[in-house]
Amino acid sequence: MADLLIVDDEPNVLNALRRMCMNRTATPAIPDPHVATFAAPLEALAYMRTNRVDLVISDYRMPEMDGASFLTKAKMLQPDAARMILSAFSDMEGIVRAINDAGIFRFVAKPWGDTELRASIVQVLEHRDMMLENRRLADEVRQQQDIISRQQLELVRLEAESPGITRVRWTPDGGVLIEE
Amino acid sequence: MARTEPNTMRSALVLKKVPRQSPVLDAPGAASITGKLNDFAWICALYELGQTAAAGVDPLKVQQDILKHIVSGLDAESGSIALIVEGTDDLLEIVAGTDLPPGTVGSRLPRGVGVFGHVVATGQPLLINGDAAETRLPVQINERRDRATHSAMCWPLRVQERTIGALAVNRAAGLPKYSVEDLDRGQVLTSLLALVMANHRMHVERENRILELSTLNDAMQRMNALLEDAQNQLIQSEKLASIGQIAAGVAHEINNPVGFVLSNLGALESYVGSLFALAEAADAAGARSTGEPSPEGVSPGQALRDGTDIEFLRTDIAALLAESRDGLGRVKAIVQDLKNFSRGGADESWELVDLHAALESTLNIVRNEIKYKARIETRYGALPEVECLPSRLNQVFLNLLVNAGQAIEANGRLLIETGVEGTEAWIAVEDTGCGIPKEHLNRIFEPFFTTKPVGQGTGLGLSLSYSIVRKHGGRIDVDTEVGRGTRFTVRLPLRQPRAAVPATSV
Ligand SMILES: Nc1ncnc2c1ncn2[C@@H]1O[C@H](COP(=O)(O)OP(=O)(O)O)[C@@H](O)[C@H]1O
Ligand SMILES: [Mg+2]
Repeated sequence: MADLLIVDDEPNVLNALRRMCMNRTATPAIPDPHVATFAAPLEALAYMRTNRVDLVISDYRMPEMDGASFLTKAKMLQPDAARMILSAFSDMEGIVRAINDAGIFRFVAKPWGDTELRASIVQVLEHRDMMLENRRLADEVRQQQDIISRQQLELVRLEAESPGITRVRWTPDGGVLIEE
Repeated sequence: MARTEPNTMRSALVLKKVPRQSPVLDAPGAASITGKLNDFAWICALYELGQTAAAGVDPLKVQQDILKHIVSGLDAESGSIALIVEGTDDLLEIVAGTDLPPGTVGSRLPRGVGVFGHVVATGQPLLINGDAAETRLPVQINERRDRATHSAMCWPLRVQERTIGALAVNRAAGLPKYSVEDLDRGQVLTSLLALVMANHRMHVERENRILELSTLNDAMQRMNALLEDAQNQLIQSEKLASIGQIAAGVAHEINNPVGFVLSNLGALESYVGSLFALAEAADAAGARSTGEPSPEGVSPGQALRDGTDIEFLRTDIAALLAESRDGLGRVKAIVQDLKNFSRGGADESWELVDLHAALESTLNIVRNEIKYKARIETRYGALPEVECLPSRLNQVFLNLLVNAGQAIEANGRLLIETGVEGTEAWIAVEDTGCGIPKEHLNRIFEPFFTTKPVGQGTGLGLSLSYSIVRKHGGRIDVDTEVGRGTRFTVRLPLRQPRAAVPATSV
C-alpha cells in the first residue's frame, strides 16, 4: 500500500498523474497505490494533519504558496513522508530552497515521461522504506543497548549497597560461596 | 604703322579715362566692330549663351563660349574674362581665355595687379594702345613677347553697382587699333555680358545649393534609415529581454499541458489494451457459450467485464480526451500569442485592430507570470477597431503588464481597463504594487533607467513604449502613489491621419 498525495494548481495535471499512478499494467507499476489529489496546497496540508502519507508530490508554482514552502510545511507535519517536486519551471533559488529547506528526494521537470516518473516514484518509495527500516532497526538496537545498560546500572547499585554481592557465586544447589 | 594719338607718348600708351563723348576715331576696321555689335542676331546669341547656364552646363565652358562670341564680335584676336572669387573682395580669377598660354585659366591675380586689377579697382574701362609691355601697370594682360599686344580694351563687369570682374580683348600688331568709340560701345556690351554672367553665376549657385541640399537630404535619409534600423534592433532586443522576463510563465504554460497530454496518451494506451483484451475474451466466451452454457448461467465474458470497470473507462476516456484537447489547444494558443508578439519588423503595416483581442493575446503570455502574485481583472469598454501597428502595440501592453506584475510583491490586483473618449481609445493598466517615488517619476521614460536588478530589467521598456505610442500619435500618462500602486494610461487616436487603411485588415 502506497499513500500518495499530489498537489498541482492545474486539475488536468492532477487527473493525468492519477491515471499514471493507477496504471497497473505499466512497468514499473506503483505497488497498491492510493492517490489523493489537491489543487490547493492549504487543503493538502489540512489533509495531512489527519491522514498518513508516504509520498508528497508537489508542483512548484502555485497561487497560495510555492512548492518549496508547501513541502517545508508538509515535512513539519509528517517528517517521514517522502517529498518530490514536479515542475514546469523553477529558478535556481527555488530549487535550492526545495533541496535545503524542504529536503526533497527528487526534482522532476515537466513535461514528464510517465515511465521515468513512475520509476522515480517507485524508487523514492523504496528508498524511504529502506530508511524507515534502517531507523527501526537502529531503534531496536538502541533499545536493547538500553536494557543492557539498565542491568549494568542495577549491578552497580547493588554492589554499593552490599559490597561484594555482585561477586557472590552460587553453588549449584543454591548455596552461597564466600571467598575470603 | 602705329597710329599715334595726339595725347600719347611715343610708346602710345593710353591710360586715360575715356570721356563719354570721346571723339570717334575713324580707324580702319573699327566700323566692322560697330556693325557686329549692332547686329541683333549676335546679341541674341550672346543672351542665349547666358541662358544655357541654367541647363546645368559646365560653367567654365559657358564662360569660354561667351568669351569666344565676344572676341569674334569685337574682331579681337584674343580675350579673357576674370571674375572676383566668391567670398573675396578683389581676388580675381581668370575664368576664360582664348589664345592664352596654358595654365592661365584658373590662375588668380592678387589685388590691384595688372590691367584687370586696375579696372576692377577703379571700376572704369581702359583702352591700351601701343606696347603693353611698357605700360606702367605691374603685369600685362597679354605678355606674349612674340606677338606683342598692339591694342587692348578692358571693361569692368558690373551688376547693380557691384563689380564682379572684368573682360579684356586684344588685337595684335597688324590689326587696326581700338578706338575710344569702340571702348564706349563695348561698355554697353559688357553690361549685358555682366548680367549674363551674374545670371549664370546665380544659376550655378542655385544649382549648387540644390545639389548641396539634396546631398544633405540624402545624408539625412541615410541617417534616418540607420536610426530606424537601430530603433528596430532595440525593439527586437527589448522583445527578447521581455520574453526572458516572462520565460517562466511561458515555459509553465507550454510544459504543463504537454506534460499531461503525453501522460494521458500513456493512460489511454493501457485503457485501450484492456478494452481489446475484454473484446477478445468476450468473443471467445461467445463462441463457447453458443455450444455449452455454463452451469452457473454466468459467461466468462461477463466475469471479465465485471473485473474491468467498463463504466469507469467510459467516463475516464471521455474526460481524458477532453482534457487533452484542452491542453493542446492551450499550447497552440500560447505559441500563436508568442508569434503575434514577435512578428512584425520594420515593415509592419497599419491595420485596424480589435485591441481587446490584442490585449488578451498579450495577457495570455504574461498571465502565468502574474497569476501567482495578483488577481487579474479586466474591465473592457466598447472599443471600436483602432488603426495601429499591432505587434508594436502588443509590445507596449506587454511592457506595462510585466512592469505591473513586477511591482507587485504578492496578493495584488492587476486591472486592465479600456474605453473611448472622443476620437481616442484609452487602455489603462493599473497595479496595486510599490508605486513610483517622485524622484524617479520624471526618469522612467528615459532609456536604460531601471530600478531592477540585472536580468529583470533593461530600462528600455517604457522608453520604447513611449516612442511606439508617439508613433501612433498617442501618449502615455502615469498616475502613481508610493505604497498604493500605479496606473499607466495609453491614449491612441482611433484613426491615423495620414494613410488610408489598407484593405488587408478587413
Ligand atoms: N507599474 C510600475 N510600478 C512601479 N514602478 C514602475 C512601474 N512601471 C515602471 N516602473 C519603474 O520604471 C522603471 C523603468 O521601467 P521600464 O522602462 O519598463 O524598464 P524596466 O522594467 O526594464 O526596469 C522601472 O525600473 C521601475 O522603477
Ligand atoms: Mg519593464
